[in-house]
Parts: sequence; C-alpha cells; structure tokens
Amino acid sequence: MTDVSLTAPASRRLDPVALVAVVAVALAYGRAIWFTPPEATQGFAQKILYVHAPAAWVAFLAFGVTALSGAFWLFLKDQRLDRLAESSAEVGVIFTTAVLVTGPLWGKPVWGTWWTWDARLTLTLFLWFIYVGYLVLRGVIPGREQRARYAAVVGILGALLIPFIHLSVYLFRTLHPLPVVARPEGPSMPPVMVKTFFLAFFAFTLLYVAFVRVRIALAVQRDALDDATVGG
Amino acid sequence: MPDNALYYRLAYAATLLLYLGYALSLYLRGRALSRREQRQRDGRT
Repeated sequence: MTDVSLTAPASRRLDPVALVAVVAVALAYGRAIWFTPPEATQGFAQKILYVHAPAAWVAFLAFGVTALSGAFWLFLKDQRLDRLAESSAEVGVIFTTAVLVTGPLWGKPVWGTWWTWDARLTLTLFLWFIYVGYLVLRGVIPGREQRARYAAVVGILGALLIPFIHLSVYLFRTLHPLPVVARPEGPSMPPVMVKTFFLAFFAFTLLYVAFVRVRIALAVQRDALDDATVGG
Repeated sequence: MPDNALYYRLAYAATLLLYLGYALSLYLRGRALSRREQRQRDGRT
C-alpha cells in the first residue's frame, strides 16, 4: 500500500526564509516611502523605481531558473528540477505582472502615456504571455514526464527573450530609460536612493526565494498525493 | 516638483496587493492539499 502520510503540510509550515523576506520587504517599502526623498524632476513618481526595477530583476531571475532547471531536467529527468522550474515560472509571472502594472503607473506621469508599443514594453508583455502559456500548458498535460518535457522546451525558449529585453534599450529607439544604477560609470542617483534601491533588490529577491520554497513544498505534497491516488 | 504622488501610491498598493494575493493563494492551495491528504487517509482507514 502506498503511504499517503507526508511531512508537515505546506500550509502549516512557517518558513524562516518567508519570515525574513516579509521583514525585508516591509523595510524596503518603509524606507522607500518615508526615508527616501523624491527626485527633483520626476517627483514622487520616481519612487516607483524601487518596486518596478527589482520586480523586473526577479522576473528575469525566475525565468532564468525555469529555463536552467528545464534544461537540466532534459538530461537528468529529476522530478525536483521540474518542480523548481514550475514553481519559479509561477512566481516569475507574478513579478512580471508587477512590472507590467507599475510600468504604466510610472509612464503616465513621466512620459504622458500609460503604454507605448516600444521594444522594451512589448517584449516584456510577450515574456508574460509566454510564461502564462507555460503554466497553462502544464495544466493541460496529464502525464508527468511528457508535461515536464514540453514545459522544459517552452521554458528554455521563453527565456531567450530575456537578453533581448535587457538590451532593447540599447538596440532600439525606446521611451524606456537606460539603466540608472547598473552602469559602467556608476549609479547616477544619490547614495540615499541607491541604498533604497539595493535594499529593495535584496528584499524582493528574498521574497522570490520564499515564494518558490513554499510553492515547491506544495508541488511535493501534490505529487505525493497523486502518486498515492494512482498507487492505491 | 510635479505633483504625482498618487501614481506611486497606486503602484505600491498594487504590488503589495499582488504579493499578498499570491501568498494567500499559496496558503489556500496548501490548505486544500491538506484536506485532500486527510480525505485520502480517512478513505484508507
């Protein structure tokens, strides 16, 4: 008989990484709101940088992890890699949604328009569609191995957009500004803003790790229950 | 300096809602899995 008894259910676990992530995110929001001055030209709208850019970084990281895990799964066929790819893609979609929501809210007061079909914005929207498609694909394929194989291929192909998105501000005429921190000549912001920026980067990266850990725990629990159903 | 604080407040509120909503969805999925596990266990005893 297959044992359906699992380790502590994911819903009742208190992950220490999640706890640290929540504190770090609260600190980042607090510092950005109350302890970081607004920029003189853009005004308060510039503070959107502290939630927009880290979300974009985490989205790239998440889809990069999905692609790498998928690539390794194709060789190793290790179920843990597929769970990591699946979890990372889902969290990546959440962070890309944050990018696509905060971008227009920054664009309207600064550019005078919510949206423009330039390379950076359009490719980011495509990236979101690809990984939403990735998650839908996973949901409609019942066989675990076939699902992992197809998902790995889509996950790898989708991530090929990431370097184009990153380089789009150099390659194309675009409204989107060039990087203000990751520049060879150093950040073009005052130190107080740079510190907030890096705190937000750290906090949202930690939030990504926390989300992925919990999501993997759910996937482990789900797979064990599926195995028990099939095996029983 | 332009008066556009509303946009940044909206952006911060939207991201917070998004992350809290996702955290809630993880919690609810975990609870649903625990119930499913309980049902499977009860069905076997």
